[in-house]
Amino acid sequence: MHRKKCDVAVVGTGPAGLAAANILADHGLLVVILDENARMGGQLLRSLPWGGALSRPDRLRRVGFDLTDRVKDKKIEVITRTKVLDIVEGRHLLVEERQGRIAVVEPRVLLLATGARERFMPFKGWTLPGVISTGAAQILMKNYGVLPSWNMLIAGMGPLLLVLAGEFLKNGGKLISVLDMGGAREKALMLTQGLHHFSKLSEGFLHLAGILTSRVPLRLRTTVVEARGGTELEEVVAAGIGKDGAVIEGTEMIYRTESLAVGYGFTPNIELAQVAGCAIDHDKTRGGWVVRVADDLETTVDRIFAAGEITGIAGASKSLHEGEMAAFAILRKIGRHVHSDRMARLKQKRHRHLRFAGYFNALHGLPPRAVLSVPDEVAICRCEDVRMGAIRSAVMEGHDTPAALKRALRIGMGNCQGRTCAPIVYDILSALANKQEKTVSILTARGPVKPVAIRSFLS
Amino acid sequence: MKDLRIPSVARGKKIKIFVNGREVIAHEGESVLAALVAAGRRTLRRSHRNGEGRGAFCGMGVCYECLVSIDGRPNMRACMSEVEEFMEIGIDAPKEM
Amino acid sequence: MPHRLHSLNMQQEREKMSDLLPRRADVTVIGGGVIGSSAAYHLAVKKIDVVLLEKGDFASGTSSACDGLIFLQSKKPGPHLELAMAGRSRFDDLPEELESDIELRCKGGMIIIERDSELQAMERFVEEQRKIGLEVSLLEGYEARELEPCLSDDVTAATFCPLDGQVNPISLTLAFLKAAKSRGAKVFSHTPATGIELRGGAIEGVRTLRGVIRTETVVNAGGVYAPQIGKMVGLDIPIVPRRGQLLVTEALPRLLSRCLISARYIAAKYDSGTVSGEDRGISLEQTENGNFLLGSTREFVGFDRRTTQYAIQRILSDTTRVIPRLKDAHLIRAFAGLRPYTPDGLPILGKVRSVGGFIMAAGHEGDGIALSSVTGQLVAEIVADGKSGTPLEPFALERFFPPKQSEGRKAYERGKKA
Repeated sequence: MHRKKCDVAVVGTGPAGLAAANILADHGLLVVILDENARMGGQLLRSLPWGGALSRPDRLRRVGFDLTDRVKDKKIEVITRTKVLDIVEGRHLLVEERQGRIAVVEPRVLLLATGARERFMPFKGWTLPGVISTGAAQILMKNYGVLPSWNMLIAGMGPLLLVLAGEFLKNGGKLISVLDMGGAREKALMLTQGLHHFSKLSEGFLHLAGILTSRVPLRLRTTVVEARGGTELEEVVAAGIGKDGAVIEGTEMIYRTESLAVGYGFTPNIELAQVAGCAIDHDKTRGGWVVRVADDLETTVDRIFAAGEITGIAGASKSLHEGEMAAFAILRKIGRHVHSDRMARLKQKRHRHLRFAGYFNALHGLPPRAVLSVPDEVAICRCEDVRMGAIRSAVMEGHDTPAALKRALRIGMGNCQGRTCAPIVYDILSALANKQEKTVSILTARGPVKPVAIRSFLS
Repeated sequence: MKDLRIPSVARGKKIKIFVNGREVIAHEGESVLAALVAAGRRTLRRSHRNGEGRGAFCGMGVCYECLVSIDGRPNMRACMSEVEEFMEIGIDAPKEM
Repeated sequence: MPHRLHSLNMQQEREKMSDLLPRRADVTVIGGGVIGSSAAYHLAVKKIDVVLLEKGDFASGTSSACDGLIFLQSKKPGPHLELAMAGRSRFDDLPEELESDIELRCKGGMIIIERDSELQAMERFVEEQRKIGLEVSLLEGYEARELEPCLSDDVTAATFCPLDGQVNPISLTLAFLKAAKSRGAKVFSHTPATGIELRGGAIEGVRTLRGVIRTETVVNAGGVYAPQIGKMVGLDIPIVPRRGQLLVTEALPRLLSRCLISARYIAAKYDSGTVSGEDRGISLEQTENGNFLLGSTREFVGFDRRTTQYAIQRILSDTTRVIPRLKDAHLIRAFAGLRPYTPDGLPILGKVRSVGGFIMAAGHEGDGIALSSVTGQLVAEIVADGKSGTPLEPFALERFFPPKQSEGRKAYERGKKA
């Protein structure tokens, strides 16, 4: 088996990974940075394959793109289209390379910057072709210059709905409406959050302005009740919701659309950290289950560091700063001198990010019991078609942990390995048993943390 | 059917790919999913549990809904695969499609 | 609105139940895997008052980390095979009896042969199996491929038994449990037995962290943990964990109708003479859902349930040689199960003479699923009638402690209890 040694391996080429790799290489370390995607940038830094970007990038993104360019020029080995399957031998990476073979990367220090993925609130018909995530819509437009559809309805929770709405309009799409589960209060409170996050807010407000001037209806405290169609999406039923997330009878409205983009926030990709043995914690202010890190971003496993969304959902600014912090902490770890002022300043910045994140995540978290309004016939595990009713029955019969449900119903045993359904199942369990989310013991991750072609194992 | 490709974008070289044997235009650098969406193909496979049509959902390689066959190899994520000239893509939509 | 009330009621209900660990039971089954749950079920059917204690989640141990093969062909000709044959017919009735879809699929099973040395060993094996009355035939390679077209030319011959098949082991375990409960058994998860109380060499009670259950009969269905239960009554039970690694592919269209194991697997299990070097036996099964389960290994690594790169590589290499189409599939999960191994490959069943009321039902190694039904049945017979219909001497715990040592053994055990 092919083995490659390096000083630092960085998993993930989003802002955190790039920022870290950049600094480490500046100090002469041999860095390998890996990503499953074809191009660097993670979920935030999206660019077209043919050069350029669809819209002028904001300040943060400009910083990020600069990093991408700098990383390419330095002596950093960028390995794209490569899946990290497992952490072996302590902190070595078992990977499936793009050529279709298994290899091992042996770093002295490992940095996990695996980012976050979207989370979802299921509704009747959410598996119909035509229902996509806001991320999918973004990727199609910003990475490939393709509109997801001619007309689109956007729904869910959180500020990214407006961001997507603005972009879709700008690219010539017909935006039918934006339906936000959140209320006016959250929007107003965001305003008071201050200058520190001006860039985030300004982007959001620009989009909001764009939408309001184009007279696209924006409905607050509204949720999707059903997506309907023959074999593909044709119309969406929405309704008003109360503060608790429950549907208000008599407020149903129907939208004819072939495309619905939904987004409900994010959840960190902690699977690799889990298989590495890193401790994880449930922290609502940080968006859920995150990797536990010390002040200097080292995890509970020696010489494994974590940076970016996996230590807490808070956006690109935090990721960039944590990437820098992790790099300096790693330099210190291997005996290089790092000015304590520098570390102190970065730690300060980080604390500010986390405060904002706390506020942000609290405001935009889904109402905890909203998941209980999901009807029995709705699939929770999309891969294996396991429905809400089956989960309720199984919990009544005593299968009241995610592991027990997995055994009894096969949820999480499909191709996505629970990435889509597990966050929903945790919410269902904590709501049904009236337990705090942190007491729901999450599914253990095991290598391979991503499906891998059998061919890659054969010589 | 009008192409969903955004006109202002300058793309890579036009290439020919095949979807269930039918010729479809794509551009070098596109993902298989982008090419399929641009060609109006949204139902990509059938659920092995109940035969329902499924298409792309997360767009970023996490949900495993957008599985198609590529050059004979089954269960490949369309969103994580890049088009290549003469690529043969198999989508397994329900009979009505 | 209704759903919210639903969830509060459910919580109250469960809180009530958790107080109800009974003060006594006629029989206490220790172990909530397939064997324990089968025992609880069969006891409940006979209207015997039974409590089952499982230390973790139900079916969270070996029974959820195995394949679901019901293979008569892999049993050693003799008491082992006879026991399996006695239990085989019960399986056909189980889905209806347990009112559960246990994904039973009985289209027969094959032992695939890839080399001449294996062929000779299998010819002998088949002869002995036939003597006992097992319907098994030897097929040429091309005949095997007629039955299963996906098999490669590497398969030069195969044995076939129409009675072999597969089941979903987790569904089976949970189905036994559910049926046991509906017939009056009381089952408790997250409730380990912490001790067994004896008086005058006979069982009096089982201790748990939630109190003592007065009981005169204990069924040790602890699987790889059976020795720990045995220690509670001063017994040395020679069961050690043997790790078997298994790989799972994504759900695929139906390729393989029957389950397969390799002749090398049989040879490794019973006749180490035919196996040179390391053990490379394989097993292949395509579940009802369409996933392939590819195995396996036979490793003695204590209670280590990790999978290894080496085994993954080896299992994939060996199984894709037999079914080349698998090369295009994806590995989505790898896990390892600990099988309860005994020195002679036979389970340990039946009453233990030196401890009144202690019944063994453990040590099935890789045959737990196939023997689950018949094991539960004979446990129930022992309790209800004093003895089982099946002769159990070959499976007795005492077989590991030959008679000439029995005086010393008794003294040893007395000493331990003191």
